[in-house]
Amino acid sequence: MNFQPIIQKTRAYLCLDCGKCTASCPLARVDLDYSPRRIVERVIYGEAEAVMADPHLWMCMTCGLCSARCPSHVDFTRFIVEMRAEAFRHGERGIYAHNGILQEVMRIQTLNVHQNRTRWLAADMEVADRGDYFYFVGCLPFFDVIFADLGVQALEIARSAVRLLNRIGIAPIVSNEERCCGADLLLGGDVDSFQRLAELNLETIQASGAKKVIFTCAECYNAFKNDYPAFVGPLPFELMHLTELLAPKVEAGELRFAPLPGLVTYHDPCRLGRYLKVYEPPRTLLHGVPELILVEMEDNRERAMCCGSTAWVNCSGCSKLIQREKLRQARETGARLMLTTCPKCQIHLSCAARDLDDEQAVEVEDVISWVGQAIEPQARTENDG
Amino acid sequence: MRQARDRAEETDESPRIGVFVCHCGHNIAGYLDVPALVESARALPGVVWAGDSLFTCSDAGLAEIRAAIVQHRLNRVVVASCTPRTHEPLFQAACEEAGLNRYLFELVNIRDQCSWVHMNDRELATAKARDLIRMGVARAALLEPLSETELPVQPEAAIIGGGMAGLTAALSLARRGFAVTLIEREPELGGILRHLDKLYPTMVDARELVARRVAEVREQANIEVLTSATVQAVKGYIGHYELTVRSRQFGLEMDLPVRAGVIIVATGAQEFKPFGLFGYGDDPRVLTQQELERLLAESNLQSPISNLVMIQCVGARDETHPYCGRICCLTAMKNAMRLKQQNPQTEVYLLYRDIEVHGTHFEDYYAQARDLGVIFTRYTPDAPPQVADGRVLVYDELLGMRLSIPYDLLVLSTPLVPAAGVHELARLLKVPVDEHGFFLEAHVKLRPLDFATDGIYLCGSAHWPAHLDEAISQALGAAARATTILSREQVRSSGAVARVEESLCRGCERCAQACEFGAIEFVELERAGVLLYRSGPSLSQKIARVNPVLCKGCGACAVVCPTGALQASHFTSRQVTTMIQAAMGH
Amino acid sequence: MDDLPKIIAFACNWCSYAGADLAGVSRIQYPPSTRVIRVMCSGRVSPMFILEALRAGADGVLVTGCHPGDCHYLSGNEKAVHNIELARSLLALLGIEPERLRLEWISAAEGARFAQVVKEFTEQIRQLGANKLQAAGDRQP
Repeated sequence: MNFQPIIQKTRAYLCLDCGKCTASCPLARVDLDYSPRRIVERVIYGEAEAVMADPHLWMCMTCGLCSARCPSHVDFTRFIVEMRAEAFRHGERGIYAHNGILQEVMRIQTLNVHQNRTRWLAADMEVADRGDYFYFVGCLPFFDVIFADLGVQALEIARSAVRLLNRIGIAPIVSNEERCCGADLLLGGDVDSFQRLAELNLETIQASGAKKVIFTCAECYNAFKNDYPAFVGPLPFELMHLTELLAPKVEAGELRFAPLPGLVTYHDPCRLGRYLKVYEPPRTLLHGVPELILVEMEDNRERAMCCGSTAWVNCSGCSKLIQREKLRQARETGARLMLTTCPKCQIHLSCAARDLDDEQAVEVEDVISWVGQAIEPQARTENDG
Repeated sequence: MRQARDRAEETDESPRIGVFVCHCGHNIAGYLDVPALVESARALPGVVWAGDSLFTCSDAGLAEIRAAIVQHRLNRVVVASCTPRTHEPLFQAACEEAGLNRYLFELVNIRDQCSWVHMNDRELATAKARDLIRMGVARAALLEPLSETELPVQPEAAIIGGGMAGLTAALSLARRGFAVTLIEREPELGGILRHLDKLYPTMVDARELVARRVAEVREQANIEVLTSATVQAVKGYIGHYELTVRSRQFGLEMDLPVRAGVIIVATGAQEFKPFGLFGYGDDPRVLTQQELERLLAESNLQSPISNLVMIQCVGARDETHPYCGRICCLTAMKNAMRLKQQNPQTEVYLLYRDIEVHGTHFEDYYAQARDLGVIFTRYTPDAPPQVADGRVLVYDELLGMRLSIPYDLLVLSTPLVPAAGVHELARLLKVPVDEHGFFLEAHVKLRPLDFATDGIYLCGSAHWPAHLDEAISQALGAAARATTILSREQVRSSGAVARVEESLCRGCERCAQACEFGAIEFVELERAGVLLYRSGPSLSQKIARVNPVLCKGCGACAVVCPTGALQASHFTSRQVTTMIQAAMGH
Repeated sequence: MDDLPKIIAFACNWCSYAGADLAGVSRIQYPPSTRVIRVMCSGRVSPMFILEALRAGADGVLVTGCHPGDCHYLSGNEKAVHNIELARSLLALLGIEPERLRLEWISAAEGARFAQVVKEFTEQIRQLGANKLQAAGDRQP
């Protein structure tokens, strides 16, 4: 098996062995045996088979902090994903979290299903079958079922999203034919399933006629933007996170909120942050909420620490230690509420938070569902009586 | 850090599976195409040998298996025959004799669940059997050798509670040759019987009876008695318990370690004191049955009593204690008859809701009470008796009028309620109590004297208000149960228990919450070589540990574990999913 | 459809698997539609097993265990109820007919009942039709 293409594609030959990656890596801090540069070196020196059988291959969170700092711009996260695809082909798997139920749900969506996943829509919400805007909901309906005991209420994100879109005059398309974006399957090495999901989603969105696809999940957004083109070609529509659409409206005073008093901090998801470089729009949105005070964690924006788990694979004691540190950073700001723009970050951090006692506890919520509680109705114009 | 995986490579070998298809005489071969099954088995991945035999469970059949294991260097064996529920141990033993770990064996049921129930469709039945064998082979490839844990048994018992139940159990075990430590929190042994007068139905003297038993216990050399003693801590598991008992019996307070292979809970119950009901606590003429018996026993009753009224179901069968106290009817009758016999002139009224007597001799006892002239007056819960000016007012439904009964003594029959400190003890032992506070047995019909936690047993009123003969029977039963453990040198656990892959454990405790048997504990582990976060160097984590002796292998923990750290050995997720895929032909 | 449905059945070692054996001992005949996977307790059946069975093409999934109050592991069957409910919710979202999943309590003494349940469920699945998940898409707009 020739690993040259992977090495070259990711610039791995240029690794200088400087160690900056390992020094930056949140996982390496809790697992001294984990070293990004060593993984690269082993493959270069012909030990790819051993790497594919190594559990460490599945532990990387692909958070990208290493690549951000690598002086040679080695794309380590890409390297990991490609190696996992190879490993998967060889019958290797990571250890699936939650008994593998997430992977099952995602894989079933590659098949001939006729889903019923939009019952969360309420009577006051305006949606359309065709139009310019397609709201990509992602796996929220499934998270609501699977993580009911965490109290995460994933579908509130979707409801708030539709209300916010309605509020700025958009009736989005919300489709039963949507499939999981596939990001977790790609990160789990299941390239064929990812391909299929990408094709199906492309078909659905194209059939709807939409020109812009709105996301409330950082990972879905990233999958479409950075991964889909390699699998299904350039996408014939624009992509954006809902905060990117709303931020200018907030700045222009067209979108207003009722006060939501309190101190909050914001977690930059790896995908929205380091991958897509979208740092300010969620912050702009939060600044637009009266009496909401945003305080930054020590490591924010490009330096933000990963939420600790990814792809529903190899969640472990190490993930927990990383999450503990993240929650500590949140607490240190004085805030008791951490907001984010990725439902999976919310789930992972909520899971870790549940084991903290009251004085250490931090609540984790989504930006969209948080501000969605306080949407001010449209101001009357001068023409109204 | 190792990843938990089910691979035949555990032994550094790829699977070499042998498949033995049984004819079972005509039972299987008469309905399925056995030669075809052998053929298709031979073609399955990992199979290096496939054959058939007439009766695989016969001596000849077993010899064939053993020979094949050696000759073909098999490291997995699949027998397609009857049901594992009857024959698995037999074949497992054969494998072991040939040097193969017994857990590397799989029995595929193509008789009880195939040939016998699909007798009229050879083709479809054979197709099903083919699928079942494919499933069995797929699973066999993923089976792992497992070891059974053996733990030495401490041939000693700890009995908590020195009333009749505890004393009886102690004697029973001691006479069988086991050392017993009897732990009683009062300064004296004897429990409730010390405060009673006579016992129904024979009217034998309670204090004499219990004194005799206490003497027997004291004479028994291998019973150590600790009085004024309470259990402070309990550690360990079946065969190997360690209790810390605080004793004040020598005037000094000492914490004593008590080692035991089993524990028996015989902590009894206490009488409910109905303060605020019917003037109890204010009016000195109002007593409970036990208080009455005390007076009778000490001959302290101011005689003569002209009017005695007893009220049944006080604080029982109501919101406070929704259950029937079980022994109070007979107790009341006994005391009523005692007083009536002492002084036939005494008017005795017994106000009841229902009369609970069972068996031939207790029906006679009831008849006897009535015959003696005890007046039984029925009341209903919506019109309970009332007390005013030394009289009890009760509405009699038959007469249609309210009776006004004067009393010199008003005796209230109250139920036994859980003894003080029950919840604390339950917590220490990690055993459950029911909604009333009585200890909860493992199974109301099938295991009435066991706790779900292995090695702890239950008897007497600690479990439920018991008549004395019941308490004694249960005590003997609990001793017998305990003997099944104590008489062994070792306790062996199955190998098919849950296992924790420690690197994956997040210490969330969902597994322990799902476990009914207390088999999961948590230990603090310092992660090796953790580099610092600014949160500092203390990065120890709580990690789950399974006690293989207590684990029953149900797998509930594996379903709730979010990371896959907990796996149910011999029924892992991969073993099951591979069977699913194989069933569908993949 | 004449083809016999394929049903993956989970049976617990102490009750329903024994009940199935009893049906055999009693020679009670039933359709050869089931492929039984023995587990120690119905509570072992995670929602993932159910979805995997359907994804793999099973026409029906039957989960059987001890009657409430009789579970050998005390509350395993209660856990099974919870797991089946969760699986059902997911199936509803995915548009997979919830009738393809069935939960039954069958004791070790109920051989006839095991056979009856298999007969009924097989017929029910037959009416429902084959599992079309793996079929080439007949996607609607």
